[in-house]
Amino acid sequence: MSSPDSTALPILRAALAEGAGNSGEGLQQEVVALFDELREPLLRYLVSFGLALPDGEEVLQEVFLALFQHLQRGKSRENLRGWLFRVAHNLALKWRYRSRRDWEARAEPGVGELAIEPGPNPEDQVVRSQTQRRLQAVVRALPENDRQCLFLRAEGLRYREIAGILDMSLAAVSLSLARSLRRIARSAER
Amino acid sequence: MQPEDSHLSDQQLLLDIENELATHDEKVAHAHLGTCWKCRTRRQELETAIADFVHSRQQEFDSKIPPAAGPRALLKARLAELAEGEANGRLSWHGLDRRFAWALVATICGLLAIISYAGRPNSSARPAPIVSIPDSRLTPGAALLLSRQTVCAQANTKNKAVPVSLQRKVFEEYGIAGEPRAYEVDYLITPALGGADDIHNLWPHSYSATVWNAQVKDALEDRLREMVCDGSLDLTEAQRAIASNWIAAYKKYFHTDEPLLTHRQQRIQ
Repeated sequence: MSSPDSTALPILRAALAEGAGNSGEGLQQEVVALFDELREPLLRYLVSFGLALPDGEEVLQEVFLALFQHLQRGKSRENLRGWLFRVAHNLALKWRYRSRRDWEARAEPGVGELAIEPGPNPEDQVVRSQTQRRLQAVVRALPENDRQCLFLRAEGLRYREIAGILDMSLAAVSLSLARSLRRIARSAER
Repeated sequence: MQPEDSHLSDQQLLLDIENELATHDEKVAHAHLGTCWKCRTRRQELETAIADFVHSRQQEFDSKIPPAAGPRALLKARLAELAEGEANGRLSWHGLDRRFAWALVATICGLLAIISYAGRPNSSARPAPIVSIPDSRLTPGAALLLSRQTVCAQANTKNKAVPVSLQRKVFEEYGIAGEPRAYEVDYLITPALGGADDIHNLWPHSYSATVWNAQVKDALEDRLREMVCDGSLDLTEAQRAIASNWIAAYKKYFHTDEPLLTHRQQRIQ
Protein backbone atom coordinates (compact mmCIF):
# COMPACT_ATOMS: atom_id res chain seq x y z
CA MET A 1 0.00 0.00 0.00
CA SER A 2 1.23 3.47 -0.74
CA SER A 3 2.21 5.90 1.95
CA PRO A 4 -0.50 8.20 3.24
CA ASP A 5 0.60 11.19 1.22
CA SER A 6 1.69 9.57 -1.97
CA THR A 7 -1.64 9.96 -3.71
CA ALA A 8 -2.89 13.13 -2.08
CA LEU A 9 -2.91 16.26 -4.15
CA PRO A 10 -1.37 19.25 -2.48
CA ILE A 11 -4.45 21.11 -1.34
CA LEU A 12 -4.15 24.79 -0.71
CA ARG A 13 -5.80 25.73 2.53
CA ALA A 14 -5.68 29.20 3.87
CA ALA A 15 -6.83 27.75 7.16
CA LEU A 16 -3.67 25.74 7.40
CA ALA A 17 -1.54 28.83 7.24
CA GLU A 18 -3.70 30.87 9.56
CA GLY A 19 -5.21 28.25 11.85
CA ALA A 20 -3.49 25.71 13.98
CA GLY A 21 -0.26 26.06 12.01
CA ASN A 22 2.42 23.68 13.18
CA SER A 23 3.34 25.22 16.46
CA GLY A 24 4.00 22.55 19.08
CA GLU A 25 1.32 23.31 21.61
CA GLY A 26 -1.47 24.06 19.16
CA LEU A 27 -0.72 20.87 17.29
CA GLN A 28 -0.68 18.81 20.46
CA GLN A 29 -4.13 20.11 21.34
CA GLU A 30 -5.37 19.38 17.87
CA VAL A 31 -4.05 15.82 17.98
CA VAL A 32 -5.59 15.21 21.40
CA ALA A 33 -8.93 16.55 20.14
CA LEU A 34 -8.80 14.11 17.23
CA PHE A 35 -7.87 11.35 19.64
CA ASP A 36 -10.97 12.11 21.73
CA GLU A 37 -13.12 12.03 18.63
CA LEU A 38 -11.75 8.95 16.91
CA ARG A 39 -10.28 6.75 19.62
CA GLU A 40 -13.26 4.43 19.91
CA PRO A 41 -13.84 3.77 16.19
CA LEU A 42 -10.13 3.29 15.62
CA LEU A 43 -9.85 0.97 18.59
CA ARG A 44 -12.76 -1.12 17.35
CA TYR A 45 -11.08 -1.33 13.96
CA LEU A 46 -7.76 -2.38 15.49
CA VAL A 47 -9.44 -5.05 17.58
CA SER A 48 -10.92 -6.46 14.37
CA PHE A 49 -7.35 -7.45 13.44
CA GLY A 50 -7.21 -9.64 16.51
CA LEU A 51 -5.42 -7.18 18.76
CA ALA A 52 -6.36 -7.35 22.42
CA LEU A 53 -7.63 -4.04 23.74
CA PRO A 54 -4.40 -3.11 25.57
CA ASP A 55 -2.41 -3.82 22.39
CA GLY A 56 -4.93 -1.80 20.42
CA GLU A 57 -4.44 1.12 22.83
CA GLU A 58 -0.69 0.90 22.36
CA VAL A 59 -0.96 0.86 18.56
CA LEU A 60 -3.36 3.79 18.81
CA GLN A 61 -0.75 5.82 20.65
CA GLU A 62 1.68 5.16 17.79
CA VAL A 63 -0.97 6.22 15.29
CA PHE A 64 -1.53 9.59 16.97
CA LEU A 65 2.18 10.22 17.49
CA ALA A 66 2.59 9.61 13.76
CA LEU A 67 -0.23 12.10 13.15
CA PHE A 68 1.56 14.70 15.24
CA GLN A 69 4.73 14.29 13.20
CA HIS A 70 2.73 14.33 9.97
CA LEU A 71 1.14 17.66 10.88
CA GLN A 72 4.33 19.06 12.32
CA ARG A 73 6.01 18.57 8.95
CA GLY A 74 3.25 20.59 7.36
CA LYS A 75 1.90 17.66 5.35
CA SER A 76 -1.57 17.40 3.88
CA ARG A 77 -4.55 17.82 6.17
CA GLU A 78 -6.91 16.44 3.62
CA ASN A 79 -9.18 13.78 5.12
CA LEU A 80 -7.30 13.19 8.37
CA ARG A 81 -9.84 10.60 9.45
CA GLY A 82 -9.05 8.48 6.39
CA TRP A 83 -5.35 9.04 7.01
CA LEU A 84 -5.68 7.84 10.61
CA PHE A 85 -7.54 4.70 9.61
CA ARG A 86 -4.96 3.96 6.95
CA VAL A 87 -2.06 4.34 9.38
CA ALA A 88 -3.94 2.26 11.97
CA HIS A 89 -4.52 -0.40 9.33
CA ASN A 90 -0.83 -0.50 8.37
CA LEU A 91 0.36 -0.58 11.98
CA ALA A 92 -2.10 -3.32 12.84
CA LEU A 93 -0.78 -5.42 9.97
CA LYS A 94 2.76 -4.77 11.16
CA TRP A 95 1.79 -5.63 14.71
CA ARG A 96 0.23 -8.88 13.54
CA TYR A 97 3.29 -9.75 11.50
CA ARG A 98 5.56 -9.05 14.46
CA SER A 99 3.50 -10.92 16.98
CA ARG A 100 3.05 -13.92 14.64
CA ARG A 101 -0.06 -14.91 16.47
CA ASP A 102 -2.80 -16.86 14.93
CA TRP A 103 -5.29 -14.10 15.42
CA GLU A 104 -8.24 -15.99 13.99
CA ALA A 105 -7.86 -18.66 16.64
CA ARG A 106 -7.72 -16.23 19.52
CA ALA A 107 -9.57 -17.27 22.61
CA GLU A 108 -9.72 -13.75 23.93
CA PRO A 109 -12.87 -11.86 23.02
CA GLY A 110 -12.34 -9.96 19.81
CA VAL A 111 -14.18 -9.83 16.55
CA GLY A 112 -15.42 -13.33 16.69
CA GLU A 113 -16.19 -13.69 20.35
CA LEU A 114 -19.05 -11.41 21.08
CA ALA A 115 -19.87 -10.44 24.62
CA ILE A 116 -23.57 -10.82 25.19
CA GLU A 117 -25.16 -8.21 27.35
CA PRO A 118 -27.84 -9.67 29.61
CA GLY A 119 -31.34 -9.06 28.26
CA PRO A 120 -34.32 -7.93 30.27
CA ASN A 121 -35.54 -11.51 30.69
CA PRO A 122 -34.16 -15.00 30.06
CA GLU A 123 -36.13 -15.49 26.82
CA ASP A 124 -34.89 -12.23 25.32
CA GLN A 125 -31.42 -13.09 26.43
CA VAL A 126 -31.53 -16.43 24.63
CA VAL A 127 -32.84 -14.89 21.40
CA ARG A 128 -30.28 -12.11 21.51
CA SER A 129 -27.54 -14.52 22.29
CA GLN A 130 -28.52 -16.72 19.34
CA THR A 131 -28.61 -13.74 16.98
CA GLN A 132 -25.22 -12.60 18.20
CA ARG A 133 -23.69 -16.03 17.77
CA ARG A 134 -25.16 -16.37 14.30
CA LEU A 135 -23.74 -13.01 13.30
CA GLN A 136 -20.47 -13.84 14.95
CA ALA A 137 -20.15 -17.00 12.89
CA VAL A 138 -21.05 -15.23 9.64
CA VAL A 139 -18.61 -12.38 10.18
CA ARG A 140 -15.85 -14.72 11.25
CA ALA A 141 -16.31 -16.76 8.08
CA LEU A 142 -15.93 -13.73 5.81
CA PRO A 143 -12.68 -13.30 3.88
CA GLU A 144 -10.45 -10.87 5.72
CA ASN A 145 -10.73 -8.13 3.12
CA ASP A 146 -14.53 -8.30 3.20
CA ARG A 147 -14.47 -8.18 6.98
CA GLN A 148 -12.25 -5.11 6.97
CA CYS A 149 -14.48 -3.38 4.43
CA LEU A 150 -17.47 -4.09 6.63
CA PHE A 151 -15.78 -2.83 9.79
CA LEU A 152 -14.56 0.34 8.11
CA ARG A 153 -18.03 1.02 6.73
CA ALA A 154 -19.51 0.38 10.18
CA GLU A 155 -17.18 3.09 11.49
CA GLY A 156 -18.72 5.53 9.06
CA LEU A 157 -16.10 5.64 6.34
CA ARG A 158 -17.33 6.31 2.83
CA TYR A 159 -16.62 3.94 -0.04
CA ARG A 160 -13.87 6.16 -1.43
CA GLU A 161 -12.09 6.28 1.93
CA ILE A 162 -12.33 2.52 2.34
CA ALA A 163 -10.94 2.06 -1.17
CA GLY A 164 -7.98 4.26 -0.22
CA ILE A 165 -7.28 2.47 3.04
CA LEU A 166 -7.53 -1.04 1.67
CA ASP A 167 -6.00 -0.17 -1.70
CA MET A 168 -9.03 -1.43 -3.60
CA SER A 169 -11.18 0.01 -6.36
CA LEU A 170 -14.54 1.58 -5.54
CA ALA A 171 -16.31 -1.20 -7.38
CA ALA A 172 -14.46 -3.81 -5.32
CA VAL A 173 -15.54 -2.10 -2.09
CA SER A 174 -19.13 -2.02 -3.22
CA LEU A 175 -19.05 -5.69 -4.27
CA SER A 176 -17.39 -6.71 -1.03
CA LEU A 177 -19.99 -4.96 1.13
CA ALA A 178 -22.88 -6.36 -0.90
CA ARG A 179 -21.38 -9.85 -0.57
CA SER A 180 -20.98 -9.56 3.20
CA LEU A 181 -24.44 -8.14 3.81
CA ARG A 182 -25.98 -10.79 1.58
CA ARG A 183 -24.42 -13.41 3.83
CA ILE A 184 -25.61 -11.67 6.98
CA ALA A 185 -29.12 -11.29 5.52
CA ARG A 186 -29.14 -14.93 4.41
CA SER A 187 -28.19 -16.11 7.86
CA ALA A 188 -31.13 -14.17 9.31
CA GLU A 189 -33.51 -16.00 6.97
CA ARG A 190 -32.53 -19.36 8.39
CA MET B 1 -27.90 0.09 -15.23
CA GLN B 2 -30.24 -2.76 -16.15
CA PRO B 3 -33.39 -2.45 -18.26
CA GLU B 4 -36.34 -1.21 -16.25
CA ASP B 5 -38.15 -4.54 -16.18
CA SER B 6 -35.25 -6.44 -14.54
CA HIS B 7 -34.63 -6.44 -10.80
CA LEU B 8 -31.94 -4.48 -9.00
CA SER B 9 -28.92 -6.42 -7.80
CA ASP B 10 -27.92 -6.46 -4.12
CA GLN B 11 -24.99 -4.27 -5.03
CA GLN B 12 -27.23 -1.68 -6.66
CA LEU B 13 -29.66 -1.78 -3.76
CA LEU B 14 -26.81 -1.31 -1.31
CA LEU B 15 -25.34 1.58 -3.30
CA ASP B 16 -28.78 3.17 -3.22
CA ILE B 17 -29.07 2.68 0.55
CA GLU B 18 -25.62 4.16 0.97
CA ASN B 19 -26.36 7.13 -1.27
CA GLU B 20 -23.42 6.14 -3.45
CA LEU B 21 -25.26 5.80 -6.77
CA ALA B 22 -24.59 8.25 -9.57
CA THR B 23 -27.49 10.64 -10.13
CA HIS B 24 -28.73 8.95 -13.28
CA ASP B 25 -28.52 5.44 -11.77
CA GLU B 26 -30.28 6.67 -8.66
CA LYS B 27 -33.23 7.93 -10.71
CA VAL B 28 -33.51 4.62 -12.54
CA ALA B 29 -33.26 2.67 -9.29
CA HIS B 30 -35.93 4.76 -7.60
CA ALA B 31 -38.22 4.45 -10.59
CA HIS B 32 -37.86 0.67 -10.38
CA LEU B 33 -38.27 0.55 -6.61
CA GLY B 34 -41.44 2.57 -6.92
CA THR B 35 -43.07 -0.27 -8.79
CA CYS B 36 -41.29 -3.42 -7.57
CA TRP B 37 -42.31 -4.93 -4.24
CA LYS B 38 -39.70 -7.63 -4.53
CA CYS B 39 -36.80 -5.16 -4.76
CA ARG B 40 -38.27 -3.02 -1.99
CA THR B 41 -38.43 -6.06 0.24
CA ARG B 42 -34.87 -7.02 -0.62
CA ARG B 43 -33.73 -3.48 0.10
CA GLN B 44 -35.39 -3.73 3.50
CA GLU B 45 -33.64 -7.05 4.17
CA LEU B 46 -30.27 -5.47 3.43
CA GLU B 47 -31.05 -2.57 5.73
CA THR B 48 -32.01 -5.04 8.44
CA ALA B 49 -28.70 -6.86 7.92
CA ILE B 50 -26.87 -3.56 8.39
CA ALA B 51 -28.87 -2.80 11.52
CA ASP B 52 -28.16 -6.27 12.93
CA PHE B 53 -24.46 -5.90 12.30
CA VAL B 54 -24.25 -2.41 13.79
CA HIS B 55 -26.29 -3.46 16.82
CA SER B 56 -24.07 -6.47 17.36
CA ARG B 57 -20.92 -4.36 17.21
CA GLN B 58 -22.33 -1.90 19.67
CA GLN B 59 -23.13 -4.68 22.08
CA GLU B 60 -19.74 -6.20 21.58
CA PHE B 61 -17.70 -3.12 22.31
CA ASP B 62 -19.64 -0.47 24.12
CA SER B 63 -19.23 -1.99 27.55
CA LYS B 64 -15.66 -3.09 26.94
CA ILE B 65 -13.80 -0.04 25.77
CA PRO B 66 -12.11 1.42 28.83
CA PRO B 67 -12.47 5.12 29.64
CA ALA B 68 -10.33 7.45 27.57
CA ALA B 69 -8.80 9.39 30.47
CA GLY B 70 -5.76 7.14 30.98
CA PRO B 71 -4.76 6.71 27.31
CA ARG B 72 -5.46 10.39 26.73
CA ALA B 73 -3.11 11.46 29.52
CA LEU B 74 -0.46 9.07 28.22
CA LEU B 75 -0.77 10.50 24.72
CA LYS B 76 -0.47 14.07 26.02
CA ALA B 77 2.71 13.17 27.88
CA ARG B 78 4.19 11.43 24.86
CA LEU B 79 3.30 14.32 22.58
CA ALA B 80 4.95 16.80 24.92
CA GLU B 81 8.03 14.59 25.07
CA LEU B 82 8.13 14.23 21.30
CA ALA B 83 7.69 17.97 20.71
CA GLU B 84 10.44 18.76 23.19
CA GLY B 85 12.78 16.16 21.72
CA GLU B 86 12.25 17.46 18.18
CA ALA B 87 12.74 21.07 19.30
CA ASN B 88 16.04 20.20 20.96
CA GLY B 89 17.28 17.99 18.20
CA ARG B 90 16.46 20.28 15.28
CA LEU B 91 18.79 23.00 14.05
CA SER B 92 16.73 26.03 14.92
CA TRP B 93 16.69 28.97 12.57
CA HIS B 94 15.83 31.29 15.42
CA GLY B 95 18.68 29.94 17.47
CA LEU B 96 21.26 30.85 14.85
CA ASP B 97 23.06 34.11 14.76
CA ARG B 98 21.09 36.00 12.09
CA ARG B 99 24.13 37.37 10.27
CA PHE B 100 25.66 33.93 10.12
CA ALA B 101 22.40 32.46 8.87
CA TRP B 102 22.00 34.98 6.06
CA ALA B 103 25.63 34.52 5.09
CA LEU B 104 25.02 30.79 4.91
CA VAL B 105 21.95 31.25 2.71
CA ALA B 106 23.78 33.69 0.45
CA THR B 107 26.68 31.27 0.04
CA ILE B 108 24.35 28.39 -0.84
CA CYS B 109 22.43 30.55 -3.33
CA GLY B 110 25.68 31.70 -4.91
CA LEU B 111 26.90 28.13 -5.28
CA LEU B 112 23.59 27.05 -6.78
CA ALA B 113 23.69 29.95 -9.24
CA ILE B 114 27.22 29.01 -10.36
CA ILE B 115 26.27 25.34 -10.76
CA SER B 116 23.10 26.25 -12.61
CA TYR B 117 24.92 28.67 -14.97
CA ALA B 118 27.68 26.18 -15.67
CA GLY B 119 25.20 23.41 -16.45
CA ARG B 120 22.82 25.55 -18.49
CA PRO B 121 22.33 24.47 -22.08
CA ASN B 122 23.00 26.97 -24.84
CA SER B 123 19.40 27.91 -25.47
CA SER B 124 20.01 29.85 -28.65
CA ALA B 125 21.62 26.85 -30.26
CA ARG B 126 18.90 24.38 -29.33
CA PRO B 127 15.32 24.17 -30.57
CA ALA B 128 12.67 24.55 -27.86
CA PRO B 129 11.91 21.07 -26.47
CA ILE B 130 8.38 19.80 -27.03
CA VAL B 131 6.53 19.42 -23.74
CA SER B 132 3.30 17.45 -23.89
CA ILE B 133 3.21 16.26 -20.33
CA PRO B 134 4.34 18.14 -17.23
CA ASP B 135 7.18 17.13 -14.96
CA SER B 136 5.39 15.70 -11.94
CA ARG B 137 8.16 16.90 -9.63
CA LEU B 138 7.62 20.49 -10.71
CA THR B 139 3.90 20.30 -11.46
CA PRO B 140 2.16 17.73 -9.27
CA GLY B 141 -1.13 19.64 -9.59
CA ALA B 142 -2.81 21.71 -6.91
CA ALA B 143 -6.49 22.09 -6.21
CA LEU B 144 -8.60 24.29 -4.03
CA LEU B 145 -10.89 22.69 -1.48
CA LEU B 146 -14.12 23.10 -3.39
CA SER B 147 -17.19 20.94 -3.36
CA ARG B 148 -18.68 19.46 -6.51
CA GLN B 149 -21.65 21.80 -6.14
CA THR B 150 -19.40 24.86 -6.04
CA VAL B 151 -17.36 23.72 -9.02
CA CYS B 152 -20.44 22.92 -11.07
CA ALA B 153 -22.21 26.14 -10.11
CA GLN B 154 -19.41 28.15 -11.72
CA ALA B 155 -19.58 28.81 -15.45
CA ASN B 156 -17.16 26.72 -17.50
CA THR B 157 -15.38 29.70 -18.98
CA LYS B 158 -11.98 29.87 -20.62
CA ASN B 159 -9.08 29.73 -18.17
CA LYS B 160 -7.95 33.15 -17.08
CA ALA B 161 -4.54 34.28 -18.24
CA VAL B 162 -1.60 33.38 -16.03
CA PRO B 163 0.26 36.53 -14.84
CA VAL B 164 3.47 37.14 -16.74
CA SER B 165 5.59 37.03 -13.56
CA LEU B 166 4.22 33.58 -12.75
CA GLN B 167 4.75 32.45 -16.35
CA ARG B 168 8.37 33.54 -16.05
CA LYS B 169 8.78 31.44 -12.90
CA VAL B 170 7.31 28.41 -14.66
CA PHE B 171 9.75 28.82 -17.55
CA GLU B 172 12.61 29.19 -15.09
CA GLU B 173 11.60 26.00 -13.27
CA TYR B 174 11.41 24.08 -16.51
CA GLY B 175 14.73 25.53 -17.68
CA ILE B 176 13.13 27.18 -20.72
CA ALA B 177 15.16 30.24 -21.57
CA GLY B 178 15.19 30.41 -25.34
CA GLU B 179 11.70 30.51 -26.78
CA PRO B 180 8.99 31.02 -24.22
CA ARG B 181 6.65 31.96 -27.07
CA ALA B 182 6.72 28.34 -28.14
CA TYR B 183 4.69 27.45 -25.04
CA GLU B 184 1.40 28.16 -23.43
CA VAL B 185 1.60 28.20 -19.64
CA ASP B 186 -1.32 25.94 -18.87
CA TYR B 187 -3.12 24.80 -15.73
CA LEU B 188 -2.63 21.10 -15.07
CA ILE B 189 -5.89 20.87 -13.13
CA THR B 190 -8.10 23.37 -14.85
CA PRO B 191 -9.78 25.97 -12.59
CA ALA B 192 -13.06 24.63 -14.02
CA LEU B 193 -12.30 21.48 -11.98
CA GLY B 194 -11.09 23.36 -8.91
CA GLY B 195 -7.46 23.80 -10.01
CA ALA B 196 -5.47 26.42 -8.14
CA ASP B 197 -3.53 29.49 -9.32
CA ASP B 198 -0.36 27.99 -8.00
CA ILE B 199 3.00 27.31 -9.59
CA HIS B 200 2.63 23.63 -8.70
CA ASN B 201 -0.38 23.56 -10.98
CA LEU B 202 1.20 25.31 -13.96
CA TRP B 203 3.36 23.94 -16.76
CA PRO B 204 4.57 24.97 -20.19
CA HIS B 205 2.55 23.14 -22.86
CA SER B 206 4.26 23.25 -26.27
CA TYR B 207 2.33 24.91 -29.05
CA SER B 208 4.26 22.65 -31.40
CA ALA B 209 2.82 19.48 -29.89
CA THR B 210 0.80 18.14 -32.78
CA VAL B 211 -0.92 15.11 -31.26
CA TRP B 212 -1.37 15.66 -27.54
CA ASN B 213 -1.89 19.39 -27.79
CA ALA B 214 -3.68 21.93 -25.64
CA GLN B 215 -6.97 21.51 -27.52
CA VAL B 216 -6.98 17.81 -26.80
CA LYS B 217 -6.42 18.59 -23.14
CA ASP B 218 -9.25 21.15 -23.25
CA ALA B 219 -11.55 18.44 -24.58
CA LEU B 220 -10.56 16.18 -21.69
CA GLU B 221 -11.20 18.97 -19.19
CA ASP B 222 -14.68 19.53 -20.64
CA ARG B 223 -15.40 15.81 -20.53
CA LEU B 224 -14.26 15.43 -16.92
CA ARG B 225 -16.23 18.47 -15.81
CA GLU B 226 -19.31 17.12 -17.55
CA MET B 227 -18.90 13.77 -15.77
CA VAL B 228 -18.27 15.42 -12.39
CA CYS B 229 -21.34 17.61 -12.76
CA ASP B 230 -23.65 14.81 -13.87
CA GLY B 231 -22.46 12.78 -10.88
CA SER B 232 -20.79 9.98 -12.80
CA LEU B 233 -17.29 10.91 -11.63
CA ASP B 234 -16.03 12.09 -8.29
CA LEU B 235 -14.37 15.52 -8.31
CA THR B 236 -11.27 14.31 -6.46
CA GLU B 237 -10.94 11.40 -8.86
CA ALA B 238 -11.16 13.77 -11.84
CA GLN B 239 -8.48 16.03 -10.33
CA ARG B 240 -6.27 13.08 -9.58
CA ALA B 241 -6.69 11.58 -13.06
CA ILE B 242 -5.74 14.77 -14.84
CA ALA B 243 -2.90 15.55 -12.44
CA SER B 244 -1.27 12.13 -12.55
CA ASN B 245 -1.23 11.77 -16.36
CA TRP B 246 -3.65 13.76 -18.47
CA ILE B 247 -2.91 11.74 -21.60
CA ALA B 248 -3.72 8.47 -19.82
CA ALA B 249 -6.88 10.13 -18.46
CA TYR B 250 -7.88 11.18 -21.98
CA LYS B 251 -7.41 7.62 -23.24
CA LYS B 252 -9.44 6.28 -20.34
CA TYR B 253 -12.35 8.67 -20.49
CA PHE B 254 -12.61 8.82 -24.28
CA HIS B 255 -11.89 5.09 -24.68
CA THR B 256 -9.26 5.67 -27.34
CA ASP B 257 -5.50 5.46 -27.70
CA GLU B 258 -5.27 8.48 -30.00
CA PRO B 259 -6.90 11.89 -29.71
CA LEU B 260 -10.21 12.02 -31.54
CA LEU B 261 -9.95 13.80 -34.86
CA THR B 262 -12.46 16.46 -33.85
CA HIS B 263 -10.37 17.40 -30.84
CA ARG B 264 -7.14 17.55 -32.85
CA GLN B 265 -8.74 19.49 -35.66
CA GLN B 266 -9.82 22.27 -33.34
CA ARG B 267 -6.15 23.23 -33.17
CA ILE B 268 -5.72 23.37 -36.94
CA GLN B 269 -8.77 25.58 -37.44
